[in-house]
Amino acid sequence: MKSINVKDFFELKKKELSLSLVTDPKTMDKEIVNPYLNRPGLAFAGYFERFAFKRVQILGEREISYLQSLKSEDMYNIIKEVFMYDIPCFIITKGLSLPDQMEFLANEMNIPLFVSRLTTDKVFHQLRRYLYDQFAPSKTIHGTLVDVFGVGILLTGKSGIGKSECALDLVERGRRIVTDDVVKMIAKDDIVIGKSSTDYGHFMEVRGIGLINVAKMFGIQAVRPTKRIDVQIELMPWKDNMDYERIGLSENYVNILDVKIPIIYLPISPGKNVSVIIEVVAMNYMLKSFGYDAAKDFSQKVQADIKKKSNKQK
Amino acid sequence: MIRKTIKIKNKLGMHARPATMIVKAATKFRSEFKIVKDDIEINGKSIMGVMTLAAEFGSTLDLIADGIDEEYLIKEISELFDNKFDEE
Repeated sequence: MKSINVKDFFELKKKELSLSLVTDPKTMDKEIVNPYLNRPGLAFAGYFERFAFKRVQILGEREISYLQSLKSEDMYNIIKEVFMYDIPCFIITKGLSLPDQMEFLANEMNIPLFVSRLTTDKVFHQLRRYLYDQFAPSKTIHGTLVDVFGVGILLTGKSGIGKSECALDLVERGRRIVTDDVVKMIAKDDIVIGKSSTDYGHFMEVRGIGLINVAKMFGIQAVRPTKRIDVQIELMPWKDNMDYERIGLSENYVNILDVKIPIIYLPISPGKNVSVIIEVVAMNYMLKSFGYDAAKDFSQKVQADIKKKSNKQK
Repeated sequence: MIRKTIKIKNKLGMHARPATMIVKAATKFRSEFKIVKDDIEINGKSIMGVMTLAAEFGSTLDLIADGIDEEYLIKEISELFDNKFDEE
């Protein structure tokens, strides 16, 4: 299972979340194991049923002022009881100063405490977004991701079918490459984001030449770092007896990380300009998302015509 | 070359779904395939062509096949019409 080391988290996010460490650095030897956050108010009030202690704990004004309202001894005992759980870390918001006993116990019991100068609301939202991204379901696939008129198109197909060449042709026509060969896909709610699996830059292999750097060769406008995947196009060699879509009234979908993505099985044969077809796919997708479906429009016109003729007959 | 006259037997006529069935069946064969309705002649392997005929219930069409497997093509296409494209 995935986890994030608290020390790594602190180093990465201390600026953005305006964090400072209150406890000893050695307390940070802990792991964050899920993307959720918890307000531990009930635990501090003594109610430990369903205490989500594995989550990052956020302490706001409410919790701190409650603790400070307790008698010194009660406060000590309840903090000690809460700290018995294996909690990844606490974040105290709004730059609040915390009770001395809390700092003391945290050091004793090895629980990292951070103070953020941001409001509880800001910490909650920024942290949640970061943790969700980190823990989002992901997988990698062999393919090429391109941005065509703002439509994210994932090209798949057997090795050597011409995905990279197709992407290069699209770049020549002013479109953008996200990544070639290996696409890392991350599910976020009901969309899938695709990007390169590395941060080396936009390299690609062209058979017979070797590696090239797309951004250096074609300029920065030819690349982009991430893109939502809107349509998958599976390139396949033309077969005479294959059942290709002819009208487009029915749509095929694939399931990527539990997200439904439309897929088009595109037969290619020598001399066919695949880039133009891919641009057509992108534009057709745009038209459909604006509510216009050419296949429906045309077949409705035919149906109206048939009906008119039938009525005349009677 | 074979020429066969055939009548549309399904109520809804030759709309998108039957047209797709005809084109998909026809493209399996090597023979050329044309459909004639009134004075319009279209390529029976082209979906746009077949749909633009807008052939209604009760109208007649001529199926024209030309090539080495013309008999089989006509036979299969005729069956689609006879089975009313699996409709009423």
